[in-house]
Amino acid sequence: MLKVLTLLFVYSEKPEKVMMDVVDFDGVSYRISTPSSKTQIQLSLKWACWPELVQFGAEDMLKREYAEYYGGPTEDGFDVTLHFDLEKLPEDKEALVKKVSLLKRNIFAAPFERAFTEQEQLEDDKVTSKPIPELMSVHYRDDEAIHIKASQDRVTVIFETTFKEEADRVYGKLFLTEFMEARRRIQSAPPVHYSGREPPLEIRHIQGLKDSGTVGYVTFILFPRHTRGEIREETISRIQIFRDYLHYHIKCSKAYLHSRMRARVAEFLKVLNRAKPENQTGERKLARH
Amino acid sequence: MANLAPVVMDNGTGWTKLGFAGNDEPSFVFPTAIATRETRSANLASKRGCEDLDFFIGDEAIENSKTYALNYPIRHGQIENWDYMERFWEQSIFKYLRCEPEDHPFLLTEPPLNPPENREMTAEIMFESFNVKGLYIAVQAVLALAASWTSNKVSEQTLTGTVIDSGDGVTHVIPVAEGYVIGSSIKSIPIAGRDITNFVQQLLRDRGETSIPPADSLRVAELIKEQYSYVCPDIVKEFQKYDQDGEKYFKRYDGVDSVTGRTYKVDVGYERFLAPEVFFNPEIYSSDYLTPLPEVVDTVIQTSPIDTRRGLYKNIVLSGGSTMFKNFDRRLQGDISKMVNERVRRSEELSGGKMKAKPLEVNVISHKKQRHAVWFGGSLLASTPDFGRYCHSKAEYEEYGPSICRHNRVFGSVM
Repeated sequence: MLKVLTLLFVYSEKPEKVMMDVVDFDGVSYRISTPSSKTQIQLSLKWACWPELVQFGAEDMLKREYAEYYGGPTEDGFDVTLHFDLEKLPEDKEALVKKVSLLKRNIFAAPFERAFTEQEQLEDDKVTSKPIPELMSVHYRDDEAIHIKASQDRVTVIFETTFKEEADRVYGKLFLTEFMEARRRIQSAPPVHYSGREPPLEIRHIQGLKDSGTVGYVTFILFPRHTRGEIREETISRIQIFRDYLHYHIKCSKAYLHSRMRARVAEFLKVLNRAKPENQTGERKLARH
Repeated sequence: MANLAPVVMDNGTGWTKLGFAGNDEPSFVFPTAIATRETRSANLASKRGCEDLDFFIGDEAIENSKTYALNYPIRHGQIENWDYMERFWEQSIFKYLRCEPEDHPFLLTEPPLNPPENREMTAEIMFESFNVKGLYIAVQAVLALAASWTSNKVSEQTLTGTVIDSGDGVTHVIPVAEGYVIGSSIKSIPIAGRDITNFVQQLLRDRGETSIPPADSLRVAELIKEQYSYVCPDIVKEFQKYDQDGEKYFKRYDGVDSVTGRTYKVDVGYERFLAPEVFFNPEIYSSDYLTPLPEVVDTVIQTSPIDTRRGLYKNIVLSGGSTMFKNFDRRLQGDISKMVNERVRRSEELSGGKMKAKPLEVNVISHKKQRHAVWFGGSLLASTPDFGRYCHSKAEYEEYGPSICRHNRVFGSVM
């Protein structure tokens, strides 16, 4: 997930007063501002599911990634605030900008990392005190949640998906079914299950699951080969934006259908025009003679 | 999550401005260009794989123009190719703004005199494909007026005024009375940013600045225009000043050849004040179009309804990148005042001195946000607490169909 807030490039330019609100997917909003002096920049983030993420170790994650910037007072109305001093920035500003722009991704990565580590420990026979894997639910949007659970040989990630629109639901269903099919062709892909209405067994005990026609459940099963080593970061990044990926493609296919409809209408219009009787020109000719 | 910032999108002929309401500047400014693969056969149905996803927009489109077919979906401010525009929006929302269109209200802009069919089409795409939460389509000129409220020269916040919008391709002079565009009096001038750049390029070439590599010539002309140009009060005096005291006025531009990497120097002389002069004396650049800008503004106001004219003279607002020249406002104000005062004097003479007219106030307003005035105006409007009520919501769209966009709730009328 590469998000470069162009504004963050302010770092490389001359200091100026900034006050800017930006948002990201899933209702995350940021505020970049210079409250006290022009060289002190603060970046705040607000996210509805922050309290849940804290439980799953988001703060440790922040300390690891942004040690020198995290820890100051949090801005009112926001959940996380990073402080930067323009005069004390490292040489490689590009890298810093990139790292900072990944803030949301890193926070959201916390539950995933924990699940992956738990799974590793479960599998490893040498570890004697086995952690009891708990089901981690993050309500990352108002009406949608993600559930992550580690077990001995795999990590299960379940997405709740809701579609506001009837048409979207149909497209979404098609796409998700196609995902299951794709596994036949690509062997290394993680297995994906999709079920409308029926919540999968893993989360059936949770209270308050909505049972309506609009909810669907997508389950990804990640095996150790997806969660080890270098691939791990990649997996986390990809799976986080799964929902946005899905919605983007639904919109794209609608646009494609629309363009086909337009082409077809233009074609029909041509046929209609051809079928117009040509009396008028004939009459005019008569009048002229 | 209930109240996320509205998205403000200003799609112009040359550039698209994207951002969130409440901010001072758009988050993204890139060319309104889309690069697609043109391998698809004439028959749309023969789709294999996902070539419809294989496209770039903005600066990436220009970079990839060698292997892709480059298209500009907006011509003369109006959307020409809806297929491309829909895909352009797709990427602007998901890839650039990175937001879920279902969560945000949108504010889009349209040129004055946009046919209502276009507006309906826009609404159709926005609601049907993107499921936006709310939509408001505003007229660019009105937003530019709203943006001028930040200037300290403005005493009252009115929606009456003349907007001079000069972008890359064309310059419009648009009278607006109480938020209504007076369509019959709009005039456009075929001279804008691109022509000034061409003019600078031509001047440099005629003087024999041979050190500029031909490949960079247009870019250099553009940079010189943006960095050194200003508007002079009197062109003859300015020439004299330059001839007597050249050292003080001539500037030097240092450039780097983009191909070979060598550095070169270019002298910048008369073009510093000649470039913007194109607006005031078009005959130095083109032989077809000869009416100077102040005269056009005057005609526009004179053809508007008589009871709005005072308001229109009082509030002449500049918008767009090509009005950013230093002292542009002062010169324009001077020229228009001269014309108006002359007319008042003549009519007083004709009446034999019996009638005394109340002196007319001419004010040209220039402000800091001028370059992205339309976008900024949109951002102001969308951040007001009432914005939510003015938006057309998804539910209403489904109830009434795309024709709801013909109705504007701020002015309570059918447009």
